[in-house]
Amino acid sequence: MVRDLYMFSRVNKEADVVWFKIAYENTLQSEADITSFFAEKGLDIRFAYLDSSEDPTKGKYVMFTEAEKGRDIDSIAEELENMDVVHSVKWGYSKNRAIQSVDFPLKILGDRAVLIRAKTFVDIINIMNEHVPQSEGLITIIGLRNGAGAARYMQDMAEMNDDNFLDLLGELFMAAGWGKIEYEINVFELSGNVRVIDSFLAEEFGESDVPVCAYMSAFLAGYISECLKKTVQVRESRCKSMGDGVCEHVISPAPSGVKIEHVLRGELH
Amino acid sequence: MIRQPNAILGNDRLLVTMGKKGEIFGFYYPGRDFAQHVEESQACIHDGKELIWSNAREWVSDQKYIENTNIVSTEMKNHNGLQMDILDFVHPSLPVLVRKYRITSQRSFNGKFFYYSNLQVGEIKKKNSAFCDYDSGLLAQYWKSHYIGISSDPIFKEWQIGKAMDTIWWTNAKFDMEDGKLQKKHEDIGNLNCAIGWDLNIDVEKPAEFTVFIGAASRRNTLYRKMRQVQKKNFEDIYNETQEKWIKWLSRKKLLELPDYLGFEKFKLEMQMTFNRSLLTLTILNDPGRGSFVAAPEFDHEFEMSGGYGYCWNRDSAEIVTSLLEAGYPEYCSRFFKWCKATQMHDGSWFQRYWLDGNKAPSWGNFSFSTQIDETGSTIFAMDQYYRTLQHPIKDEFLESIWATVLNAAEYLMRRTAEGMHDPCIGLWETHTGVFTYTNAAIYAGLLSAANIAIDYNERGLADRWTERAELIKKTTIDRFWLDDEYFARGITNGQLDTAIDASIIGTFVPFGMLSPEIPKEKEMIKSIMENIEKHLRVPVNDHFGIKRYVDDNYIEGNPWIVTTLWLSKAMLEMASDIDPYDGDTENKEHRKLTHDALKYIQWSLKGRTGAGMLPEQVNKYTGSPAWAIPLSWSCALMMDNILLLDEIQRKLNSSKEMEHTGSSHDIFRLS
Repeated sequence: MVRDLYMFSRVNKEADVVWFKIAYENTLQSEADITSFFAEKGLDIRFAYLDSSEDPTKGKYVMFTEAEKGRDIDSIAEELENMDVVHSVKWGYSKNRAIQSVDFPLKILGDRAVLIRAKTFVDIINIMNEHVPQSEGLITIIGLRNGAGAARYMQDMAEMNDDNFLDLLGELFMAAGWGKIEYEINVFELSGNVRVIDSFLAEEFGESDVPVCAYMSAFLAGYISECLKKTVQVRESRCKSMGDGVCEHVISPAPSGVKIEHVLRGELH
Repeated sequence: MIRQPNAILGNDRLLVTMGKKGEIFGFYYPGRDFAQHVEESQACIHDGKELIWSNAREWVSDQKYIENTNIVSTEMKNHNGLQMDILDFVHPSLPVLVRKYRITSQRSFNGKFFYYSNLQVGEIKKKNSAFCDYDSGLLAQYWKSHYIGISSDPIFKEWQIGKAMDTIWWTNAKFDMEDGKLQKKHEDIGNLNCAIGWDLNIDVEKPAEFTVFIGAASRRNTLYRKMRQVQKKNFEDIYNETQEKWIKWLSRKKLLELPDYLGFEKFKLEMQMTFNRSLLTLTILNDPGRGSFVAAPEFDHEFEMSGGYGYCWNRDSAEIVTSLLEAGYPEYCSRFFKWCKATQMHDGSWFQRYWLDGNKAPSWGNFSFSTQIDETGSTIFAMDQYYRTLQHPIKDEFLESIWATVLNAAEYLMRRTAEGMHDPCIGLWETHTGVFTYTNAAIYAGLLSAANIAIDYNERGLADRWTERAELIKKTTIDRFWLDDEYFARGITNGQLDTAIDASIIGTFVPFGMLSPEIPKEKEMIKSIMENIEKHLRVPVNDHFGIKRYVDDNYIEGNPWIVTTLWLSKAMLEMASDIDPYDGDTENKEHRKLTHDALKYIQWSLKGRTGAGMLPEQVNKYTGSPAWAIPLSWSCALMMDNILLLDEIQRKLNSSKEMEHTGSSHDIFRLS
């Protein structure tokens, strides 16, 4: 049923799909009370999610229900809003019976976000590679900036230290759908590696003779450098697109300054 | 990336464009059109934690020119208590930009001051090379015979040269600045960026001052020599010398006799300042060695949204040099017409547009059907205007030197108008192909101008032939393009009569004089054209109306243009100038109305300037802010024409009989 970012309700084609967005006070029973209310009103909940992650005292309950055509939804919403635990109610009809699985506007890492298909992301990188001089350098700069920005946000949101900063990154990667990570790192010597399982870049790119996850290497470099306050370089040594089982990104200290071999580009790839 | 400047700077050898927060957008040397060496160049402060870029949103800036000079003062205040004041100018004789920074703080501040640049020397990013010769206090970047140098007073304490876009990102100067100290790399190659830095320790009572010099040269030794010259000299001396140079240059201008206009507060002062600004702008958009002008400093290098503006169009330059001539600077005419002589094509025409050195520029007018015939007409029309101002023996010398050019051009126009109107070609706005009222008028004026010159060259036969053709063009244009609705059709496009209202039809009167207000029937035609333009092309913004080019114009939102607005007001003032307001009540009312309406359009155009006073090509129809091609030399020329006409009208009034008899002036402009 899932079609990209939304699904279509097909249980009762004659019914209206009505969505509710309910802000409520987060108590032990509040979600149950709200769900019971809908059962009492005979409104079938087809899809719903709860979110009280930002503020544990408040919650957001988004649900898509099916209601007989002609039901007086205004009165139901008014009654719902009068419940003790409910702060506010918004509702509307989903004319095309579409059920969105993400909130709008979507936010990730504190900023406005959008979902794009992995294929679209890889298309952008491919087009850059075809048309933009020094595209790998450009992708590196973008990845670095994004990685450092993610680190700064996570430092604000969570207790971060040398022991857990890569665990936090792993959860971010999973949540964003980028892949699963395993890692080994020596934060004193700035050496180690990060292995990305099912990297979205490598999977979408397909077969390649060279590693294709430069954006992810740069993201890791920005993230780790920002967390450790030391400059590291990260290079992809193995890649699923090359037939390897996982993508492996090797961490090492950035050389101070630039060596002649950098100038001659002997160490760049 | 397309960026519109707020101010420009320059001298005979260097042109610089700048954003409102002192960011350099363009650095042109040795030509005004090529090469543009700077991608990014601006200051930055490190406060111990992070970088505060001078173009960051937190700075509130106020940028203006020092009066009567091409010196720019930018004052920027940050909510954190820091203030950054910049004084920018180009050295009076050397191709060196001088940037004096003064940093003050409301409390004690300790950090770093950086000056960052991302140069693309020779207008290319790759294959550049840079080095820092610290003993000479010089950081230089070069490509082939293009050298850019950065030095400072006091000498910078640290620096970095790094790769601007590479996977070895830790050498990138922009990243290197983030920790507040620079790596001091001595040299590198490729696509580079660089930064120089100083300690920045300020007390409330003790601001910091840094002067950055950015110079250009074609050889390494020359760069060293020039940079040593500026380093040795006291800043105040260079500043005073520069100020004096501009004030002296401006003192040659025609003195204006403008009255105070009731209902137009501060208007007189604003017009005088804009007149001066237009002169100062045009002189640095001119190639002094060759005589050509850029239409505007290039801002769309990749032709992303236009065909670019950093080239010389004969149409624009013909207008510019005649305006400068009227303003008291005839030398721009003689230099430009020499350039025209050199760039004329074998068939007698001129190409769509040129690089300033006379090479053909990128063009969509490479064929006889895609050329713009009006440019040939405009060129000889302007030549004749200049020629008429000359006195013996210079006049004779000019005639001798220019005759072959005029002959060749006139015969080209004859060949392209065999049927009494011009062959299909591209029109002046470069958006339509066909036969145009405007182009016919330009050819009419060109042929009559050539005939004037031919008479003096004792070529009466040619003069008669060219005059006869000009009259045929006029007759055919009126017969075929004058509409029952009392205006000229644009012309013929797609094989059909194109009746769209196009502001360029006013060209039949101004500047080309195909219609004369002295002939009653033609005067009515001119009035009707102006009424129709106002009726159909006015766009309300900035408390009045600007005039757009034509109905359904969709280039850059179809904004109103300064050019078309000032073109209409110029026509109004030309009409007013032809009327003696003391002839009677009807004349008086007509004179007052024309002048008043023109003043409203001039006032509207002044509102469309940038904060520093630059006139753009267009004004955003929603916001009223300057929108495109800043500064546009054609806008500057038309502004000067309008002001000179107001001056001429005032002089006529001052010398009227009433003045002689009563000694008091008539309140001719006093409309509320």
